[in-house]
Amino acid sequence: MDVQEAVAEGTASAENGEVKRDGRKQFSMGPGDILEGKLIYDGSVHADGKVEGEVRVTGNIDVASGASVKALLEGANVTLKGQVEGMVTARDKLTLGKNARLSGDIQVRRLQIDDGATLNGHVRMGDFEHQASGQ
Amino acid sequence: MTLSTRRPASRLATPVPAENGSNGHRNSVVLGPNDRLVGQLYIEGDLHVSGSVEGNLEATGDIEIAGSGKVNGDVTAYNRLTVGSDASLIAGDVRVARLTVEDGAKFSGKVSMGQPVSKVAEPVAVVPEPVVVVPEPEKPTQKGKRR
Repeated sequence: MDVQEAVAEGTASAENGEVKRDGRKQFSMGPGDILEGKLIYDGSVHADGKVEGEVRVTGNIDVASGASVKALLEGANVTLKGQVEGMVTARDKLTLGKNARLSGDIQVRRLQIDDGATLNGHVRMGDFEHQASGQ
Repeated sequence: MTLSTRRPASRLATPVPAENGSNGHRNSVVLGPNDRLVGQLYIEGDLHVSGSVEGNLEATGDIEIAGSGKVNGDVTAYNRLTVGSDASLIAGDVRVARLTVEDGAKFSGKVSMGQPVSKVAEPVAVVPEPVVVVPEPEKPTQKGKRR
């Protein structure tokens, strides 16, 4: 029993940091993890715990519901469920979950805001049909 | 021959139903797909837009931009704003208590949430100050008291 628990813990802690998922890299943080500084990453990021600084990724960014983020975020699809302060750029889609709290300017191609989310900031959306000159 | 019997005076007489008023429903205004508004609109109640609006909207209840509705202007909803998947809101300022934007919607502007939306547009009733007339104490005149 004790050995099984130890193995389970070991598996869980191995998910923190870099893991392979479907052939793509994922940087996965746990609720107690802290990231300060600038992260440029070829893959996706699951942010939890505390993040301060700048995160730019080629894949997706996913901010967990308990996370506290004060950072510039840039990714393809960005999904926020926690508290975020800072500029957010989604090259494809930004999703604000029902418990998300975002204060900062956002630039997106597509936007989905669920009821209950809080947003304070400027929204800029690209790919307008009626905009002759794209940004 | 007059074109219309709708005089401004007759419109003024139309009573605005209060929220949850006698009919049990909140006042609701609908701008359909073929409707168009240029200017400003203030509604005590809910507003559904599936037409096109060029100007500022303010509602004490919910505002829903649905269907292929297009709004180009500031939007203030004291409760909830919903922008549907085929709808478009290109705004300067968006001041709402709750916000739902469906995937596919065109949405841009400065969003302010969280702070209680105050009734800025409500006209302040001007109550004329009552003029207090203090009667001057009558001076006893020597003439009147002469016996």
